[in-house]
Amino acid sequence: MISIKHLYKKFSKNSDDNFHAIQDININIDDGECVVLKGISGSGKSTLLSIIGAIMKPTSGAVEVKGENIVSFSDFHASEYRNKYLGFITQSFHLFDELSVEENISVPLIITKLSNKEMDNKIQHAMDIANISHKAKQKVKTLSGGEKQRCVIARALVNDPQILLCDEPTANLDYDNSIKFMEIICRLKKMNKTLIIATHDPLFDKLKCVDKILHIKEGSLE
Amino acid sequence: MPNSKYINFLFLLLITYRKKHIGIFIISVILIALLSSVLFISSAIRKDIYTTLEDQADFTLQRYKAGKVLNTPESWIDEFLQIDGVSKVTGRIYGMHFYEPSQTYFMIVGVDFFDNGVVKTLQTLLNKIDVEKFLSRDNMIIGSGVKKLFDDYQYKDNYNFRPPDRSIKKVYIYDILPKESNIVSSDMVIMDIDLAREILGVKEGYVTDIVLKVPNPKEREMVREKLTISHFDMRIIEKKDIEKYYKNLFNYKGGVFLILYTISLITFLLILYQRYSMISYIDSKEIAILRCVGWKINSVIWLKIIENFIVAFSAYLTGVIMAYIYVFVFDAPLLKDIFLGYDNLSQDVSFSQQIDPQTLAIVFIVFIIPFITAIIIPVWQKCITEPSEVMR
Repeated sequence: MISIKHLYKKFSKNSDDNFHAIQDININIDDGECVVLKGISGSGKSTLLSIIGAIMKPTSGAVEVKGENIVSFSDFHASEYRNKYLGFITQSFHLFDELSVEENISVPLIITKLSNKEMDNKIQHAMDIANISHKAKQKVKTLSGGEKQRCVIARALVNDPQILLCDEPTANLDYDNSIKFMEIICRLKKMNKTLIIATHDPLFDKLKCVDKILHIKEGSLE
Repeated sequence: MPNSKYINFLFLLLITYRKKHIGIFIISVILIALLSSVLFISSAIRKDIYTTLEDQADFTLQRYKAGKVLNTPESWIDEFLQIDGVSKVTGRIYGMHFYEPSQTYFMIVGVDFFDNGVVKTLQTLLNKIDVEKFLSRDNMIIGSGVKKLFDDYQYKDNYNFRPPDRSIKKVYIYDILPKESNIVSSDMVIMDIDLAREILGVKEGYVTDIVLKVPNPKEREMVREKLTISHFDMRIIEKKDIEKYYKNLFNYKGGVFLILYTISLITFLLILYQRYSMISYIDSKEIAILRCVGWKINSVIWLKIIENFIVAFSAYLTGVIMAYIYVFVFDAPLLKDIFLGYDNLSQDVSFSQQIDPQTLAIVFIVFIIPFITAIIIPVWQKCITEPSEVMR
């Protein structure tokens, strides 16, 4: 379970000019739940996702995951948390373009103590879920946008994380690929993954597997 | 212990982004090759000179009058033999011969082939000689600088010396001194002592200088004092003074190079630091991806250290091998002239091949540690930034 309590994030341009990206957000997300954070650009949904993903520290408040406040984690523990419990799916993919699909997917596993065989099994399993096995040896730079997105999904799944954070996952996809992505999301939901999706794509409004849609405006929940 | 996927990933990054490293690699190779060449040359010269000086007499005495060297009476030899601690005293016939056509000097060395002590000093140079055959007529053994000079003026087989009595003395070229000894022997002409006396015009009963052996180093100071008292018109040159002279000469030349090298290295490292401080989009993206998928700061830094160490170490190996070939196979053209240019004849030297682990360690420490530091500090600064910042 993820429990967000009185979360604030303030960006300071100077001492007099502060921008409140997140203001007093309180959310509870159960294990296996699929939550969509909706809002226009700059509303604070990506900031909230970054804080849940432990790649950004809030100004105040707490984010408890399985009873532990990740906000107080040191960088060492935050990195471990990202590696074991989280998968990131981002709109700009963040892949090594010159490497192959399976090489990209292997990146989170390289620093673990798994054997090569265990790593290969996990990579294959992740590629199967994301429907990208047929492109395993192909360089990422030669893939289409949809295929790159599936590669990102496979990389996010390779460590079998409980939580998946998706930041504008369909922003760079056409309609067909967006639909395919949603099918994968629903499959992941069936696998009891906790999904948090920040988007302003209206396609998610009708998605059956979504449990909650939360609207964010100017850093606060509506 | 990194797994094979880690090593594979590391080499993939190196190969994939090779364009990023190639410029740094080339500059590194040039800097390392330059530094290694300078250190190889200076250590080879030092070794060759010290080996040669090892056989030299402990004291060389020259008679001076009004600041000019005069011939020394042979009678002084017996006088010096009376000093306690002196084991051997020998008179020498040495002198410079002015070679009019090229306006240069070369050194005539008279050798008494029946004096074991003298021959031992030149043994390494003369080990190929059949003494009987050599003395059967007026022969000489010449350094390669003299040989080149004679060739230029068509003296292929012999050369006519002009002693002070205006006669002509034809001396045949018997052999050439080995190239390896050229640091000290390039301008040397070795001949029988009596022939040298005749050509240099040194009268019977005189020598050009006197050399002394004092086996016990503790007695040398006392011997020096006694020599000083014995004759006031005498200059005493100790072996350690000659060693000091050469040491200062080559350390000075090597030092000038090291200063230039240090300036180039610092400039290069500043460029490197600046380059990584304005970390490229590729580097930034790479760090961001790794941090987001859970790589810890130390894992990212280690990856960068190993990646850049491979580049630096490959450059180090390439540079050292290039320097070795340049110095010991091609005899260091250009740099050799700067190091050995004090001589009036051109030097055709072959440096004694040797790998000095200390030299290699100096090059390694002086280059690789600052190299890695210049890269790692900006990478570390990027790593400690919040991953979300790096992602943007």
